[in-house]
Amino acid sequence: MNIEILILILGMTAVTYIPRAIPAVLINKLKFGEKFEKFLRLIPYTAMAALIFPGVFTTDPDRLYIGIAGALTAGVLAWFKKPIIVCVLAAVGVNMVLYAVIP
Amino acid sequence: MNDTSVKTRFLYGAQAGIPVVLGFIPVGIAFGVMARQAGFSTLETCLMSLSVYAGASEMMAVGMYAQGAGILAIIIATFFLNLRHIIMSPCVFSRMKASKLGLRLLAAFGVTDESFAVFTTIPEKQCTPAFFLGLILVTYSSWNIGTLIGAAASDLLPPIVTASLGIALYAMFIGLLMPGLRGNFRLFLLVLFTAVVNSLLSLCIPSSWALIISTLAGAAAGVFFVDLKDENSAKEDGDEH
Repeated sequence: MNIEILILILGMTAVTYIPRAIPAVLINKLKFGEKFEKFLRLIPYTAMAALIFPGVFTTDPDRLYIGIAGALTAGVLAWFKKPIIVCVLAAVGVNMVLYAVIP
Repeated sequence: MNDTSVKTRFLYGAQAGIPVVLGFIPVGIAFGVMARQAGFSTLETCLMSLSVYAGASEMMAVGMYAQGAGILAIIIATFFLNLRHIIMSPCVFSRMKASKLGLRLLAAFGVTDESFAVFTTIPEKQCTPAFFLGLILVTYSSWNIGTLIGAAASDLLPPIVTASLGIALYAMFIGLLMPGLRGNFRLFLLVLFTAVVNSLLSLCIPSSWALIISTLAGAAAGVFFVDLKDENSAKEDGDEH
């Protein structure tokens, strides 16, 4: 194995693991106020909003409609509380059809 | 908690990981192919996924390496790209406060955008370490299986399938996010606000920074104008029809 690549992998492992682990160590040492607890409970919503937008539009950078069609499919099904796996499979299915019919 | 319920929670977690698998296998394959083209051996490629386990940064790393970037530069870029986990991890571990430190340190390795999203959107009562371990075992395995397939035998999936699977993880995030927004218009507005802020910021600064800033800013703003229902009333709301 290339020693340079080994150092690269070890370095990447360390800098990736440390931010994941620090909160795991500190979570019981810190006492959060009510406001901060609410802040933490809101992060999943805002983080997911940021993970979806604007990335979903560039699912296929050449075809804007691919991301939009997939997102709408998943969004409508999720609104009606269909299971996650159904949302995912339907979005993938719609995209497959679009790729097949629009050359 | 007895053994049976630990096992059941573990299996529920594993099951909740299945939508992630659909996204991770094809992206893992793409990463495996990319890494081989960048000059990594099959062993080096697999070792990276086994020990780093952060897809976007792994792709960026092999891309930078192929362009002749220095090792230190790649490591620094990886740090900033993955720094977002420091704001996701507290949400995961605030739901696992009672578990042992060793277990939390193991679980920390499996904190990804996806495991965070699944774990923090299930009802808090169901958030046990066993559930999270089941979830990360399935997601971690699928990322590494994908990497191995890509590194060892590239171009296994037809291009149309690979392209269509690009939506899988987004569809999962949408599926996880949407039910919580029903009946909470202010939370819906907050999500919309964060999406717009992140989209605008992404135009002017690196997207990893945009994500961190818009997530924190959105949550901070939300503290003052969103009412979060507590777990019990959220559950009642879920049973309304």
